[in-house]
Amino acid sequence: MQLFFQNLINALQWGSFYALIALGYSMVYGILMLFNFAHGDIFMVGAYIGFGVATGLTALAAMGALALPNWVILVLTILISMFLTSFVGMLVERIGYRPLREAPRASAAITGLMIGIILETGNLAILGAQRIRFPSLIKSTTYDLGGVFVTNKKIMIVVVSLVLMLALNEFIRRTRWGMAMRAMAFDYVVIPLMGVPLNTIASLTFALGSGLAAAAGILFAIAYPVLDPYIGIIYGWKAFVAAILGGRGSIKGACLAGFLLGFIEIFVGAYMPSTVRDLIAYSIILLILVFRPHGFFGEPHSAKLRL
Amino acid sequence: MVEKNGASSIDTPKRFVRLRQFLGDIPLLAWLFGGLISVLVETQVGDALASLLGLPKVPVLFGCVLALKHPLLLPGALAYVSVIYIATIVLVGKITARPFNLLAEKMIQWPIVIPVAIHLITLYAIMHVWSDISLYRELTLKLTLIAIMLTLSLNIINGYMGEFSCSHPGFMSLGAYGASAIMVLFFVNDRLFGKALLPEALGPFFFPIALILGGVAAALGALLIAIPSFKTRGDYLAIISLAFMFIVKSLFENLQFMGGARGIKGQPDLANLPTVFIWLVICVWVINNFVRSTMGKALNAVRDDEMAAEAMTVNTRRTKMVAFLFAAFWAGVAGGLFAHTVRFINPNTFGVQRLAEVLAMVYFGGLNSVYGSIVGAVSLNLLSEMLRPLALFKWIIIPLLLILIMIYRPTGLVAFKEFDVRKLIQPKHKSEKEV
Amino acid sequence: MRKGFLVLVAILVLGLALAPCGWTAQKTIKIGINAPITGDIPKVGEGSKYAAEMWLEDINAAGGLEVGGVKYNVEVVVEDNESKPESAAKAATKLITEDEVLAIVGPQASSQAIPAGEMANNYGTPMISPWSTNPDTTKDRPFVFRGCFLDPFQGPVVANFIKEEFGFTKAAVLYDVASDYPKGLAEVFKEAWEKNNGPGSVVAFESFTTKDADFSSQLTNIINSGAQVLFTPQYYNEVALIVQQAHELGWKNPIVGSDSWGSAETVKLCGEDCYGLFFSTHYASAGATGATKAFIERYNKKYGYVPDDVGALTWDALRIVQAAIEGTGGLSGDLKKDREKVKDALAGIKEFAGITGKMTFTPDGDPIKCAVIVRISDKGEFEFFKSVCP
Repeated sequence: MQLFFQNLINALQWGSFYALIALGYSMVYGILMLFNFAHGDIFMVGAYIGFGVATGLTALAAMGALALPNWVILVLTILISMFLTSFVGMLVERIGYRPLREAPRASAAITGLMIGIILETGNLAILGAQRIRFPSLIKSTTYDLGGVFVTNKKIMIVVVSLVLMLALNEFIRRTRWGMAMRAMAFDYVVIPLMGVPLNTIASLTFALGSGLAAAAGILFAIAYPVLDPYIGIIYGWKAFVAAILGGRGSIKGACLAGFLLGFIEIFVGAYMPSTVRDLIAYSIILLILVFRPHGFFGEPHSAKLRL
Repeated sequence: MVEKNGASSIDTPKRFVRLRQFLGDIPLLAWLFGGLISVLVETQVGDALASLLGLPKVPVLFGCVLALKHPLLLPGALAYVSVIYIATIVLVGKITARPFNLLAEKMIQWPIVIPVAIHLITLYAIMHVWSDISLYRELTLKLTLIAIMLTLSLNIINGYMGEFSCSHPGFMSLGAYGASAIMVLFFVNDRLFGKALLPEALGPFFFPIALILGGVAAALGALLIAIPSFKTRGDYLAIISLAFMFIVKSLFENLQFMGGARGIKGQPDLANLPTVFIWLVICVWVINNFVRSTMGKALNAVRDDEMAAEAMTVNTRRTKMVAFLFAAFWAGVAGGLFAHTVRFINPNTFGVQRLAEVLAMVYFGGLNSVYGSIVGAVSLNLLSEMLRPLALFKWIIIPLLLILIMIYRPTGLVAFKEFDVRKLIQPKHKSEKEV
Repeated sequence: MRKGFLVLVAILVLGLALAPCGWTAQKTIKIGINAPITGDIPKVGEGSKYAAEMWLEDINAAGGLEVGGVKYNVEVVVEDNESKPESAAKAATKLITEDEVLAIVGPQASSQAIPAGEMANNYGTPMISPWSTNPDTTKDRPFVFRGCFLDPFQGPVVANFIKEEFGFTKAAVLYDVASDYPKGLAEVFKEAWEKNNGPGSVVAFESFTTKDADFSSQLTNIINSGAQVLFTPQYYNEVALIVQQAHELGWKNPIVGSDSWGSAETVKLCGEDCYGLFFSTHYASAGATGATKAFIERYNKKYGYVPDDVGALTWDALRIVQAAIEGTGGLSGDLKKDREKVKDALAGIKEFAGITGKMTFTPDGDPIKCAVIVRISDKGEFEFFKSVCP
């Protein structure tokens, strides 16, 4: 039982990354119907920007210019990096996606892949090949709850992710911009005719998605503090799986699928031979899609897509 | 003349129109003949010309590698390329245009097999002579030809059927492992499979069988995607295929008797240039016939509107099934050839990186077109070899180029163009242009 | 079309005018480096490249390489293999046929060294892989050598060391199933450990896949298995994550590693979590003496960090190649024969004192050398703890 709870907590942390990344992916995917294959690399860029901001802030704090406690630095890092990364996202949209809005969707997918490669290689060219250790902004404390080990980091990560997810949900549901986005997801041919600025919404969508990716990147870097230019690739593909598994344009679905992916990976690793983890985990996903061909919350008619 | 070229000259500058006119009357066979002469010239005087121009060796890939490493040698490399390739080809082509046009006129009356064979033999001769100069050329050429097969087979699903399939590295690895296992088991003394079961001399005869069995293995694997594809389409199918790729990779990592993560090495060296070329020709021929058959049209119908297709009596299930199995089969054969060219495979070879590569080739070249696949595979492969000296910056320049292509030609360079052999080899008369 | 003709002539004239830039009459020896500059492990490529640069500097400072009384210029050609097998094969072929190198150093990782070794062996060019531990790299390939010890040696070294030092009987292993080096070593270790402590004494044998960052489910199993020690033959970036996560999950026993820990980055990335841990490797950077110390200091000064084991092994491989070329007693200028000669000289090296230890070569082209057990000190330095020789 204790083993089960330990794994449950592990899976919560791991799932919350997948959920956050998938959420950003799902924003773009749901509203603009684009495969944003650069998303994993924006996640990486977010983590690196976070590294820069955190290092800068701690240096300032150490010099006494900014007498801030570490948790304030952490919050500031997350906010500033989200802000900065959202510009990266908007830039990506402007260069790689906007010119291709009328093109087949798969072409935009290729530009996404290519932008991803440019971001990776650019990072390698600028910062060199060494890996980077993310500064430990909060000191890790381990709590022993009857044989189940929980760290303060884990709690913080899960809480921050949930807060971000709820905030996004509220934004989409309650604000005018959110309504415009939902409308766009519903029909992006007619809605612009009703005076909703398509380009602004597209930029906003990318900005939000990238901001979430940056937050995910920093939380990831706090939990797994080793950064290299290629960390984003595999998470980009997995977020792709989670976002679509959730169903097109469904925030709830993407969250759920992200957590599900995390849970599957952790529990398969824990209770079955860990060498075949990927084999089993992806077979489960394949099976889910065989029985629910439109994901969790996708609607059948939306599956007829133009490629 | 004005009417004919007037339409196209709106956006093309006059110079190009004139160039096109100048070269327009050269039939394909004359081009090939020119190419053959130029590579023959290269074998004879290449070394001498290179040393005269101060180049250390015959420029291996059109001088690009050399010029990037030593920028001062750029004019030399350029001169070499223009003399050996451009000038010779154009000159020979122009001179022989008339006789070859007459020949082409004759040939078009003959059964199609004969002129095609003549063209192919000439094409092979060019490749053979060209790659004979350096082993590096040969390896690059072989991998490029294999990439064409791979791209073409993915184009069936992603182009003709309009799905976004991510499973190709998986099919490829099934084929590669299948063919390697058979060949290594029977013909190689190996750590994994023990002593060879048959004498090595039989290898070349079994090789095609092994490749076909590898292809069949890939096709069987494709069932795993083809069956869900009845109900699932578009994006959902994309992640099914992606999951399939991860599953296959994980499977081979765990199959200890197949080498696990260490992979299989020491495949017999049977994938030589003629073998690869013959397989490629068969592949292009079969796929081209396939996509031009009613089956191919059914694929397009399914892509454009599945329900309408169904209403028009297209058996969509059968169509999808055949397309997936067919594409997977060729990807598997390409994988087998790949394994025997590199002579080592491990599960990591067939991961997301390979996927990005193949997808880029398909969309760069052009959807729904055999030409496109050839153009995409050849240009990306050669480009990535030619830019090798740039090391890191190669992976900034190639993606940038691809983005630009996607922006200006969203469906790829040569999309939606039928590959018509008759049209290709027909005579080209000046008179026709001047009407 | 007169214009076209004029352009052609102009290009030709320009080419001829600049031609003398390319004429070099000096005698040069070219050494190829086949390294992963881009791709998954760029740091490894960087280390190899830097070691090669330093080596070239030395040679140039000495005015070239003297072979049989003739001074030769040396040129190092670095070729990127993108961490891909087929690209490594292409790079090797290019080095052999286009750049006409006398010998190749690299590729480092086995998945690239095996296909590249195939090409090198087929085309008769000596090749040393400094870092590849897969037996297949050199097996039945007279032209291919390596610069490091193999898994079948290192596994028992670690197993015996733990037994003698701590007296533990139950071990756990955590390794990457998709990467051949950790997987091979993990299996050898398991075998050696069970030979010492009886079957079933490896109580947890857990794995993950390359690029994973979360090892919590595996570590939870390991902790619950009652293992007394964790052996993890992983690369340094994963080591940092594994050690840290293990501690967060309540693991308090020792963690032991292999030569892939041997990088300055291990401590940089891992921090205090790694202090006091042991691993087996080729050399200990702290407290090194003689040539090893000189190399480390020079590298550190030039590039700003203590070299990884890859750098040191590449350096040794280059020096072995140098020794072999010098040992040929004169080159004929016929590349094919010279390569054959270098190969014979390489195979004939009886003993070589490298910065990673003394080594001799077996007929397969594998070195016999000592392993060192290193302790990460409380200052984060790699301290020599013990030496184990075959």
